[in-house]
Amino acid sequence: MGLLEKQFEENVLTTRVDWLLNWCRLSSIWPMTFGLACCAIEMMAVGCAHHDIDRFGAGAFRASPRQADLMIVAGTVNFKMAERIKRLYDQMPAPKYAIAMGACATGGGPYYKYGYTVVKGVDRVIPVDVYIAGCPPRPEALLEGLMKLQEKIQGSSVIRKPARTA
Amino acid sequence: MDFRGIYDRLRAIRAPGLTGCDEPRRPNPEDKKDKGRFGDPFVLVEPAWLPAFLEVARDDERLRFEMLIDISATDPSAEDEHLWVNVQLLSLTYKHRLAVKCLLPKAAPVLPSSVDVHRTCQWHERECAEMYGITFEGHPDPRNILLPEDWVGYPLRKDYVFPEEYHGISCK
Amino acid sequence: MTSTETQAGSITRTEGGVLPTGEREFMLDVKTSDLEINMGPQHPATHGVMRILCRADGELCTGAQPHLGYLHRCAEKIGESVEWLQYLPYTDRYDYLAAMNNNLGYSMAVEKLMGIEIPRRALMIRTICAELNRIGSHLIAFGTYGLDIGAFTPFLYMFREREWMMALFEKICGARLTYSYIRIGGVFNDAPPGWLSEVERFCDTFDVKWQEYVDLLMVNHIFVKRTANVGVIPKDMAIDFGLTGPMLRGSGVDWDLRRDEPYELYDEICREGVFEIPLGSGERGTLGDCWDRVYVRVMEMREAIKIVRWCLDNIEPGPVIADIPKTLKIPPGEAYVGIENPRGELGHYVVSDGGKVATRVRVRAPSFVNLAVLEAIMPGTLLADAIAIIGSTDIVVGETDR
Repeated sequence: MGLLEKQFEENVLTTRVDWLLNWCRLSSIWPMTFGLACCAIEMMAVGCAHHDIDRFGAGAFRASPRQADLMIVAGTVNFKMAERIKRLYDQMPAPKYAIAMGACATGGGPYYKYGYTVVKGVDRVIPVDVYIAGCPPRPEALLEGLMKLQEKIQGSSVIRKPARTA
Repeated sequence: MDFRGIYDRLRAIRAPGLTGCDEPRRPNPEDKKDKGRFGDPFVLVEPAWLPAFLEVARDDERLRFEMLIDISATDPSAEDEHLWVNVQLLSLTYKHRLAVKCLLPKAAPVLPSSVDVHRTCQWHERECAEMYGITFEGHPDPRNILLPEDWVGYPLRKDYVFPEEYHGISCK
Repeated sequence: MTSTETQAGSITRTEGGVLPTGEREFMLDVKTSDLEINMGPQHPATHGVMRILCRADGELCTGAQPHLGYLHRCAEKIGESVEWLQYLPYTDRYDYLAAMNNNLGYSMAVEKLMGIEIPRRALMIRTICAELNRIGSHLIAFGTYGLDIGAFTPFLYMFREREWMMALFEKICGARLTYSYIRIGGVFNDAPPGWLSEVERFCDTFDVKWQEYVDLLMVNHIFVKRTANVGVIPKDMAIDFGLTGPMLRGSGVDWDLRRDEPYELYDEICREGVFEIPLGSGERGTLGDCWDRVYVRVMEMREAIKIVRWCLDNIEPGPVIADIPKTLKIPPGEAYVGIENPRGELGHYVVSDGGKVATRVRVRAPSFVNLAVLEAIMPGTLLADAIAIIGSTDIVVGETDR
């Protein structure tokens, strides 16, 4: 929002404006196609007719990071891929969010102990907003993760100053 | 042909590098420690003669092993001083298979590349090289295929030590 | 217009001729050089995280080099570190589209070393699950190939059947994608009551829907134009590169492990002539082109239904797992077993020293071997055809990298 960001005191008007801005953002989160491994198949299933992520406004999967808001890291991250993930995440314009989908992206998954090239959780590379457990998580779990992200966005302050803790 | 027939044919045509074979056997009832050997038989070939052996196996009209299914390596144990190179061959004409094994010394695991005989060897040999440190002489492109370019160590060896950190990301 | 090749690229010189519009061409010395284009690792059309470096002279591709390793998950090291049965979930995850077949390959390799006999009902259920998963895998290959080419509808249609198939598997083993259901010695548990009749209903519906897929995409004029005569793999190149599965059969080589080296119940099934092996024939273009490979996969789906129906007709009650100890200690030795995965020959080479943990588990992944042929067939094609060729190899990067 540039000059307007986090400048105003909390009052009825700014709360309403913030609510509207947040509602616009959470209703049209556009994910980036970033399926790495098995979880990618469940992400594809979420995009299809049976589970339908499009009813959340998030059905437009964009191939380019410059056009996406959300990076769903679906699958195992290894060292070779980690550098690319960082580069892609940096290319996304703010506000941007990341969901770690599946056990591998959350904490290394089944490859935790003996995987020498596996990064034990994608949060060692990029900041993650929502973690989804499962191997692979059901499409309904991914939708719940998306709804959790929407709750998080709903609570964020865009033009209001953030709440100060004494 | 069954394994005995294939082995006799290999001996008859004097396949280069053939040193012997190993077949499964039941455990010896008199020896309590002997658990026997189960599974598949294989032939043993001198590593330096492997490409020549594969060429003969491919071209002989009674064997016709046109397709090379797999080349891989094994580290039997940390104490063993040998690495194994295992080759699986398949004949589409006669529908028989053959398993070939070469023993390489761990100190200097070198053998010639079989890329000229079967083009599929190229990628299999790259993987063996990066995982075990085996050098395939004459390979046109000996880069790492699965591991990053600057990976240190040979992961599939039994004495491999897992890394602590890579490019700033912790491995713990 | 003349074009000369130099070491750096090509120099195109236009002479002063007359264009069809009546204008005169003006003299230009245009120096061009080959462009190196990087496809991936994040790319909508590579089937997973794979990087392909293309060198292109204008629209013509002059070289291609696949780079792997972006999903290397150390499966073979894990095989040497965990117990025999604990390795089974890892087998699901290399070819995650056909997880039942991976479980089957590994279990068969270990059972060969053990030398045990599997109960007949377990073999029947294994065959049903493997063939249903073959259908599921070919559906994804077909749907995502349409997506790469530009057809969005078959992708959505395909997921309709696939959701039903995944619901069937969820009823029998609890998981939608990575099952760990086919265990060493048989299967994990018996089919719940009503499952077999639901599979029969699936078969009846699928026969009708299969025709929809053919009409929608396979004989579609645009699809045929984009895939016929593209990415031709001649027979001897296919054998030299060790290709197996639909890649080999699309080039006309009649080799299918289910018929030629039968395992489990397939010798009985083949003796009764239940199914045929579809082969590419160059019907719409050249023998061994992309359309032939798609044709083989689509026809195989129909043949898989016939195998499932045979199993449903002949299945009888009985035990579903052999009597094996809880902690497995496999007798020493080594064994190689190759099975017909939807992508080709999936081989497991297992070495045991008599203990609880394997000495070596080598996975011969068909996608790894099938991918190598790209370096040989991509040069000489147009860039737009490059996507069609990559899609027709039907690779799963979990398998190429393990």
